Amino acid sequence: MFDMLGNIMKNLLSKPATRMYPFEKRENFKNTRGQLGDIDIDACIFCSICAKKCPSDAIIVNRNEKSWEVDRYKCIVCGVCTEVCPKKCLHMEEQYKTASYTKENAKFVQQPKPEAPAGQSQEQKQ
Amino acid sequence: MIENIKEITKDQLLGEAQNMMYQGYRLVTATCVDLGNNNLDVLYHFDKELKLQNYRITIAKGEEIPSISGIYLCAILVENEMKELFGLNVTNMAIDYGGHMLLSDDDLKNPMSRQQIVIEKRGE
Amino acid sequence: MNRTVIPFGPQHPVLPEPLHLKLVMEDEKVVEAIPAIGYVHRGLEKLTEVKEFTQNTYIVERICGICSVMHAQAYCQGIEAMMNIQVPDRARYLRVIWAELHRIHSHLLWLGLLADSFGFESLFMQAWRNREKVMDIMEETAGSRVVISCNTIGGTRRDISKEHLVKISVIADEIMEDMKQIEAAFLNDYTVKHRLVGVGVLTKEQAYKFGAVGPMARASGIAQDHRTTGYAAYGELDFAPVVENDGDSYARTAVRLKEVYQSIKLIKQAIAKIPEGEISVLVKGNPNGEVISRVEQPRGEVMYYIKGNNTKNLERLRVRTPTFANIPTLLQMLPGSQLADVPVLLLTIDPCISCTER
Repeated sequence: MFDMLGNIMKNLLSKPATRMYPFEKRENFKNTRGQLGDIDIDACIFCSICAKKCPSDAIIVNRNEKSWEVDRYKCIVCGVCTEVCPKKCLHMEEQYKTASYTKENAKFVQQPKPEAPAGQSQEQKQ
Repeated sequence: MIENIKEITKDQLLGEAQNMMYQGYRLVTATCVDLGNNNLDVLYHFDKELKLQNYRITIAKGEEIPSISGIYLCAILVENEMKELFGLNVTNMAIDYGGHMLLSDDDLKNPMSRQQIVIEKRGE
Repeated sequence: MNRTVIPFGPQHPVLPEPLHLKLVMEDEKVVEAIPAIGYVHRGLEKLTEVKEFTQNTYIVERICGICSVMHAQAYCQGIEAMMNIQVPDRARYLRVIWAELHRIHSHLLWLGLLADSFGFESLFMQAWRNREKVMDIMEETAGSRVVISCNTIGGTRRDISKEHLVKISVIADEIMEDMKQIEAAFLNDYTVKHRLVGVGVLTKEQAYKFGAVGPMARASGIAQDHRTTGYAAYGELDFAPVVENDGDSYARTAVRLKEVYQSIKLIKQAIAKIPEGEISVLVKGNPNGEVISRVEQPRGEVMYYIKGNNTKNLERLRVRTPTFANIPTLLQMLPGSQLADVPVLLLTIDPCISCTER
């Protein structure tokens, strides 16, 4: 029984091992796979390799209307799509996905570029 | 490329299992594969000192195969599972869960065997 | 003598996963016990026939949350043997490091659950606090705390840099210090010994006859550890299986505790010996033929039977997990024990029911 006394004293006198969560958040590590980030839609060529390799079929690519859509609730955050994209327009973010009230896909449509001045493509979430 | 595999018939199964017991092998597991042309492939794997010895039996669907749970009691779980998932007809198991070990009444029968699924639509 | 039947239900505070036992009792002593599983059957073996063989790695590592790295390792080793792919040396050592870290986290989780099952909650919290260090280092090196998705066919997906290797070594030393403090509470405490010594005895012949694997067999005197066959860089490391001879719950606790020390030594040896080089090899073609691959998980020996038919989808993937082989030993251990010992006994087989039912 006296073997435990040293342990008990140490536990009583040191500071708690837990942190007060909503007031003090932990920084995620640098290479954490938190969620699939937004795609850089201007660089995408709509080859659909990411949709074919996805293990849970969470990505839908439509070549005719130039849109790329991801269902973040099906995504298992494995990172295969970021490795196989030939144009490297996908990346993994470190923040985990937060809860929300409705389940909807995140859709990005590439707008056609206007002619004379170098135009910007817009992204539209719907 | 499995080493040490031997093809036997289902009548020789109990004799070979008894032989393995005398030589000191332990049962690892049994595997069932649906070969597609109404045949099932049943493999039994035994192990002694980290070396495997395998047996293969090819039978048609619906034929009976004796249970080795009289010799190796630990075979009851895997034989019940093969009976429920593939429809393999195993007789004389020591503990028989009656088709309810993994599946429930309103599940599809024998889900892992290759079967035609017909969906009927009743008239409006 | 009246006999009553008590259901040790699927939901119980002690069990991490649902398992049902029908206990036939005479007054406080168990006379017969029949286990029933089937509450978490997900049909994963059928799903692997539908997805492509490269996507199956991500399905297979989600069979279990506690032993997930070794599932992916067994699958990748099987497919690599079938397609004759030679994995680079650095990848083999990286697989060993992640596998041994996973073994430490699984054993610490189990030690905490065992302390919780006989009511010793502060020891449970201390074991899990030590486990947080392992989870943090996994997140820092591999990207995720539990399901790390770092094994792939042909090698690994991520590399560990030199600073991280040094950090793993430092944290392994800290875990060794922490374990020495709680080892005294598990192995030398008077009340804990009363609950564990002499409970659920399994002799050596019975363990062999029922096909027990892993720490259950090693606690009964069978010196069988699958890592000694030398897959994935274990052939170049120096270790011996941890064996005890008594066969009761105390011996099983001692085996798992000493395996944590063994894993820490293995990690340090692997970090000292890891060579430079690439981490993965390109994979072309389709798998064809049959192969059996076996790996030592924290709970025992897992066996994979993979059959391919030269297309992108596999024809059959069969998984036999160690808890599937350990559950029949309950038919031998439970009759004759008291009702209050049933939760402790059930936890000493280290049940991982989601592995069993896939």
